[in-house]
Amino acid sequence: MAEPERHSGTVLAVAESDRGGALRPVSWEMVTAGRAVADAIGGPLVALLFGSGVGDAAGLLGAAGADRVLCADDPGLANANSEAASAVLVDAIAAVRPSVVLIPGTTLGRDYAPRVAARLRAGLAADAVALAVDGDALVATRPVFGGRVQTEVRLRGPGARLVTVHPGSFPAASPQDGVPQAIEGLTVALGDLETRVRVRDTVAAASGPVDLDRATIVVGGGRGLKEAGNFGLVEELATSLDGVVGATRAVTDAGWRPHHEQIGQTGRTVAPRLYVAVGVSGAIQHLVGIQGSDYIVAINRDPDAPIFKIASFGIVGDLFEVVPALIDELKP
Amino acid sequence: MAMNVVVLVKQVPDTNAIKIERASGTVQPGGQHVISSYDQYAIEAAIRLKEAHGAEVTVLTLGPAGAKDALSRALAMGADKAIHLVTANPNASDTLAVAEAMAGHLRGLNPDIVLAGQGSDDYEGNQVGPQVAELLGLPVVSNVNGLEWAPVGQLTLTRDIEDGRQTVEVAPPVVLLAISGLNEPRYPSLKGIMAAKKKPTEQIATDVPVASERIAWSEPVAPEQTIAGVMVRDVPAAEAAKQLAGWLREQKLI
Repeated sequence: MAEPERHSGTVLAVAESDRGGALRPVSWEMVTAGRAVADAIGGPLVALLFGSGVGDAAGLLGAAGADRVLCADDPGLANANSEAASAVLVDAIAAVRPSVVLIPGTTLGRDYAPRVAARLRAGLAADAVALAVDGDALVATRPVFGGRVQTEVRLRGPGARLVTVHPGSFPAASPQDGVPQAIEGLTVALGDLETRVRVRDTVAAASGPVDLDRATIVVGGGRGLKEAGNFGLVEELATSLDGVVGATRAVTDAGWRPHHEQIGQTGRTVAPRLYVAVGVSGAIQHLVGIQGSDYIVAINRDPDAPIFKIASFGIVGDLFEVVPALIDELKP
Repeated sequence: MAMNVVVLVKQVPDTNAIKIERASGTVQPGGQHVISSYDQYAIEAAIRLKEAHGAEVTVLTLGPAGAKDALSRALAMGADKAIHLVTANPNASDTLAVAEAMAGHLRGLNPDIVLAGQGSDDYEGNQVGPQVAELLGLPVVSNVNGLEWAPVGQLTLTRDIEDGRQTVEVAPPVVLLAISGLNEPRYPSLKGIMAAKKKPTEQIATDVPVASERIAWSEPVAPEQTIAGVMVRDVPAAEAAKQLAGWLREQKLI
């Protein structure tokens, strides 16, 4: 019997560009995550970027810490769909023979990663928030049941193990962390893959529910604000933090804020880097919607409010004094 | 010929009713099982296609005997027939094994449109839909929150992605994955519930390989609070605000 194919110890980390060809923030996080796994298994880190006009962006990946950089630069990849992206990744995997493939947990990444896993019959852990190497297994921690609990997924076997990485889970690498690498071109035969789904247009979102779902910082206001007019404080704080506004059910039910801003079991689930709860007591129905946040800050006058149990930083005090003082502190 | 639409559904524990046991951190499902929320938008979308343009709507699930309740509800909403791939515990298998079992039956059904929820409320892998598409060699459009059967013979779909609201056109056959905002799923009417009892449900015992060499996972547990929360109290507001601003900078949150 033939020896099973030994995995190379190589980690392939996929980056992603936006429509303008610039790296999305998650790309820097992919380099950090990839570097950590590569160092743990003692292999090289190869970064991959695909798109149209992305050569300059690809150059940054070596400078951020990748040992090799592959780039598929093709006008046909301008609006890459899951089939075209899959073709690129399958070719890159064939070229690099990685043990581990890290894919951004973006809309696109979560479309093509499962396709590639199906094609290669590889294991795939979705939306990992942490990664570890344990013997011959790659262990991905991922939230399930709305982020209320977590499971550890162990990926084994001789071939590539695939993971999509939840955006915001790893610190961003900087283009000073490594040394620039020559870019290796990857040519992919796309055929008609790019045209089966035709993108008619993409309209940049004005403010709205999309912002709340994808926001890095969310400031949520609760009943402690006492009346609709006081929500200006929450808006002002959100502006100074460069975040967006959310609300509890009590607030939207009272008509102080539009329904689409409601966060919680019957509203939206948010998973920002930072959630700031202002005058929010922390009813279970609301906590369910914010538990995926990396950090929770709570400002409330009731020291027994349940929100403090899950807060990384809590201030027991009068929000009408603390919030204006905080806005002052945040002024550049 | 009427369009052939197949909706993939999963029955899940009602996530509003699950309890997390404090001592062990394990999940205790509440009594009720429901159709996973995004799948309800998929069912509704299929029924609206049928009502507006004519279609035969089949609902397909893979799950234990009790999952027939999910199919009954979909039939009561207006689906025409149901297929139940009966397996004891679909969550003991990885998504690829589940997708292979579903794709195996879908090939025989030759669907124009496969609709499913973007992901399930319980394990949230969001993988079965794209994997079914891959195994059938079809394009997939995910995160669909707008659907029109126009221009003739085509679907115009909207989806919210990182760059904004995207509009795409695709001709069947295709796999579409629904999210909230697509529609308001209807409640089954009494008439619908009565009619559902006469609609055909095919039961097929299905053997799905359990977690394999490539992948295994632990029982879900509540995450440990790794950050000991900082509490500031009994200090003037200005001082509390100063400490918080300092902490935000320390954590690189601003």
